[in-house]
Amino acid sequence: MEMIDALRADAAKVLADGRAKVVIGYQARGDHRAPLFVTTADRAASLVYDDACKQNLAVYLRKPEVKLLGKAAVVASPAAMRSLVLLMSESQLTGDDALVLAVGVGEYHGVLELAQVAPLLKEKYAALAPSPELLREIEKLAAKTPEERAAFWAKQFAKCTRCYACRAACPGCYCTRCIVEKNVPQWISTAAAGHGNYAWNVIRAFHLAGRCTGCGACEAACPQGIPLMLLNVLLGQEVEKEFETKAGYDPEAKPVIGSWNPEDEEDFIK
Amino acid sequence: MKVIEANKLPGLAAALAGAGYRVVAPIRDGGEVRMVVWSPGAAIDTRAIPVNSAKDFLFPKAEIIGRCTLDGNDFRPEDVKPVAPKTVILAARPCDASAMLLLDAVFNWDYKDEFFNARRAATTIVSLVCTTADEQCFCTSVGGAPDATAGADGVLRQADGGRSFILEPLTEKGKAVAAAAGAALAEGQAKADAPVEVPVHFDAKAVTEWLGENFESPLWREVSLACLSCGACAYACPTCHCFDLQDEATRAESVRLRNWDTCGLALFTAHAGGHNPRPDQAARWRQRVMHKFSYLVERLGRLGCTGCGRCARLCPAGMAICETCREIDEARKAAVK
Amino acid sequence: MLKQQFARRFLSICAAGLRTRRADWDRTGLMAETETKKVEATPAVFEPKIVAFVCNWCTYAGADLAGTSRLQYAPNVRIVKLPCTGRIDPLFILKAFEGGADAVLVSGCHPGDCHYTSGNYHARRRWAIFRRLLEFTGIDMRRVFFSWVSAAEGAKFADLINRITADVRAAGPFERTNPARRRLWK
Repeated sequence: MEMIDALRADAAKVLADGRAKVVIGYQARGDHRAPLFVTTADRAASLVYDDACKQNLAVYLRKPEVKLLGKAAVVASPAAMRSLVLLMSESQLTGDDALVLAVGVGEYHGVLELAQVAPLLKEKYAALAPSPELLREIEKLAAKTPEERAAFWAKQFAKCTRCYACRAACPGCYCTRCIVEKNVPQWISTAAAGHGNYAWNVIRAFHLAGRCTGCGACEAACPQGIPLMLLNVLLGQEVEKEFETKAGYDPEAKPVIGSWNPEDEEDFIK
Repeated sequence: MKVIEANKLPGLAAALAGAGYRVVAPIRDGGEVRMVVWSPGAAIDTRAIPVNSAKDFLFPKAEIIGRCTLDGNDFRPEDVKPVAPKTVILAARPCDASAMLLLDAVFNWDYKDEFFNARRAATTIVSLVCTTADEQCFCTSVGGAPDATAGADGVLRQADGGRSFILEPLTEKGKAVAAAAGAALAEGQAKADAPVEVPVHFDAKAVTEWLGENFESPLWREVSLACLSCGACAYACPTCHCFDLQDEATRAESVRLRNWDTCGLALFTAHAGGHNPRPDQAARWRQRVMHKFSYLVERLGRLGCTGCGRCARLCPAGMAICETCREIDEARKAAVK
Repeated sequence: MLKQQFARRFLSICAAGLRTRRADWDRTGLMAETETKKVEATPAVFEPKIVAFVCNWCTYAGADLAGTSRLQYAPNVRIVKLPCTGRIDPLFILKAFEGGADAVLVSGCHPGDCHYTSGNYHARRRWAIFRRLLEFTGIDMRRVFFSWVSAAEGAKFADLINRITADVRAAGPFERTNPARRRLWK
């Protein structure tokens, strides 16, 4: 059976036997892929899945209107499954909050309970890594002078309109009030220019340090094409190097920023 | 007939820049085309629909509208004058040009906005007849057309199968631009290419009517399920004009800023006491559709949507206002039967 | 006549005193110093502005000890005292750079000495990562310093400030290349 047929069949089945009230998947709209919320088994045939599905659907599990529909089964790629594990480790999801229609790389893993996600990731997708092009890009940028890097980012951040699509698209950005919305005082300037854009983009990346699962939804969401994954992946690499951990594999993991070890490296503290 | 070869458009931009215009044009930089200020060497691309709209040059994303300084114990407010350089927007899409008429109406409806008006007065818009469109374009559904000239001071028509362009001035401002172009434009003959065909997706009048009676419709929750609450649509929109006033103060100087804001964000209507009259994304998406297709029609007699499709092209969650309108149109037809 | 002269002289001394006091007061205020937009003349030696975020229990007490011990150290540092290094949000560093600091120092209790047991351990992790982000987005690492200074280390504090001031002076003004800087709204 083709992968997509198996996915559709499973979606129809979980809806028919009441294990889930809504299936969150993708639909095709021309070349675009949009989320599809399937609530009846007969509509499961409209689900699609291919490489154009860039959005991380785990983001919808926090949306109040989606929650009102009842328990969800969410179509998730390995990166999105890592997001689910991250949300579990941060007490945002618990055991039976959702089901997962697990789409792997080149294969389909069927309907999983949340508890089954981490073992699958560890077994099959422990070596998920950012693309070599992205890593090369980071290396290239890191080799430049601080002034050159500042100029590179100034050009990128100048495009930012502060629409916060990056934040909206990220399953990890679930604060009900974001730091940029804290306005007494206004910590980060909301003017879409200069210092405000620098502070926003830097702080957004930092708040995901050790939490970003590398799904790339933020960069795909950015209407201005700012290469946000350069920042996220850089921090992911640093966290892995310094603290030997990768976000989204262990539902019991403590947050990297927010926990500590007396043996942590401190050669930069003089 | 004023004619210019397609590969000589940068020459036209250079001539206008030489005549003192700030030239804004669709420029390709890497994978994307944006409306930006032209500089020598920039590649003008009239085929792709720019990421941003021409609005950015009349209503910038952040702007200082007030200033005061503290000198010793003296608090001194300073008068801020609009920055309004003489500008020509070359090859704006007809949907961007017609959006100017709505912005004119909004910024002069009650209070006359000197910042917008100064820039508007200094700006000449030369639109481009569309010979390309994509699946998100729906200008014909909202009273526009690929060859409409509403809001434009002049129009560029692609001709001879894309080999050249005809520039046709429509207003005094347009004539001034044509004159300033000088030798960059040649007198000649060319055959204008046919505009692209854009299918009609819904009946805008019917949508407006339906909206008047369906504030509480269950449809809102359904059509807004995917919406994630960001401003990607509003900031790409050629007509969205909401803003937030912010004071940024340091000890020495403080400025009052007018920053873009959007009804898509929860904070837009959050009250100090914690209440939010638009408590969920369904209410916020409804506001977006209502504002464009009902409130503005009622107040200014004009739709707040020109069918450029940017919101749908850029939405990270695949939301499309055209799709919502089509669903409304269908719901209305179903109700009539 | 003499009386008049005396009166005039007295008044001018008072006015001078007021001016000095005013200037002193201004110099203590971070915002005042970092926001000043008119620079009358470029001093022969560049005097960097360094913002130090320090914890109340160790480094601030160490700085205090440096003072009560009458140790001389560079006057280029503006100290912002916080309860604990764990309280120092990365935004504070950005804010200091935004306001025109030439360098930022973060200092607190030695590992194991935190008044709140683990605030400095939390901070250490945060800075290990955040400094990489600052570096990657164009902030020169010659402008960000971290240290542990205990309440007994008055001399270390004085040395630290002198060393940092010399280093930043060598690096030169950050104004032109500071990516986080609030450019005056023109």
